[in-house]
Amino acid sequence: MNREKYSRQLLFREIGEAGQERLRQSRVLVIGCGALGAAQVEMLARAGVGFLRLVDRDFVEESNLQRQIMFEERDALERLPKAIACARRVARINSDVRAEAVVADVNEKNIERLIADVDLVLDGTDNFETRYLINDACVKHEKPWIYGAAVGAYGLTMTIRPGITPCLRCVFEKIPPPGSSPTCDTAGIILPIVLFIASIQVTEAIKLLIGRTEKLHSGLIQVDAWEMSVHRVSLQQVRERADCPACHHRRFEFLEVGRRQSALTLCGRNAVHISSAGDVSLDLREIAERLKPLGEVTLKEFLLVFRVNGYELNLFPDGHCIIKGTEDMTLARSLYARYIGM
Amino acid sequence: MSVTVRIPQPLRRFTENRDVIELSAGTVGEALEQLERQYPGITERLRESDGQLRRFVNIYVDGEDIRFLNGLATELRDGMEVSIIPAIAGGSAL
Repeated sequence: MNREKYSRQLLFREIGEAGQERLRQSRVLVIGCGALGAAQVEMLARAGVGFLRLVDRDFVEESNLQRQIMFEERDALERLPKAIACARRVARINSDVRAEAVVADVNEKNIERLIADVDLVLDGTDNFETRYLINDACVKHEKPWIYGAAVGAYGLTMTIRPGITPCLRCVFEKIPPPGSSPTCDTAGIILPIVLFIASIQVTEAIKLLIGRTEKLHSGLIQVDAWEMSVHRVSLQQVRERADCPACHHRRFEFLEVGRRQSALTLCGRNAVHISSAGDVSLDLREIAERLKPLGEVTLKEFLLVFRVNGYELNLFPDGHCIIKGTEDMTLARSLYARYIGM
Repeated sequence: MSVTVRIPQPLRRFTENRDVIELSAGTVGEALEQLERQYPGITERLRESDGQLRRFVNIYVDGEDIRFLNGLATELRDGMEVSIIPAIAGGSAL
């Protein structure tokens, strides 16, 4: 172990040498490398967590830079996939850490494989569909995971230890339908709340990884950075009293294949996400050649950008696509079918 | 009964940015009706069209989830604190 590198963390007695060694041996999955995810990755990498698997389906854009601390202007110009940009930055921050980038949409087909060999899952997603999927997979396989979300100057977080604490479905029974969540609008967000919530999540992560579970906050934490208030709701007995499909009935409906919509409107972005049809690996170069006569094609390192009739298709090698310029899922599907093929 | 209701930030655009509302109500349901009278539109975000609490919105009375008390009929006593916590999705909502 490089004692100099971690000297200040080693001096913190709650971690010490034994804790540092456990961090080095730990494996963490971060799902979603946006604002929260990037902040988590930065802290975990600096803390010396040995292995990080970074999963994200999106690419870096200029509007991300105000709050997504792992990215720089050139990443946005390059439209670098966020998972790749994060992994590259981890390599520059701390060469002790192995970062594996996965540019993909997390879904019922890959979630169980993604969590299989990690100790902990951190939530950096921006949608409930994926969170309930993570929740089902983690409850099923008894993996701890840490929910976090932020909007405006407000955020929530909760640490879930299957079998011990309530899970996300014990606390929030139902997934908010798209557009109905009180936050799915033009609320905006400031970076400090992102770092606030990510800091709570990563502190919890460290405690979990080094085995200091008695120190976990074991509640639902609500932070309002603007009013500077932190509220903790105790979740004692919620697990026992909630008739949870996942915890009590071992019914994992979010893991059922085909449950998910193939197209999803990305809230507030005037864009639609189209899922990959299955295990495919596209030859973007070949598709670029085919599309050139039909519109403007730009081939980036990890994705293909195709502009046609005011729409912009961003196609990834695994077949998933972000279509900008519309929130109409049917239209987006037909654009995908017409130009990429289903 | 005089109680305080804590309004989470995402709902404060209905309450002229006030984070704590003092009101008088005998049950949680009455408190929501009071709230709606003072700030029209707010409870539409919290209740289904049949009046039931939306299942991704939680209400806590002195830290206890009303799902395990008496739901909207949960009785309030003087000085109690009602806290509304909706599940939030996050980041990408620009």
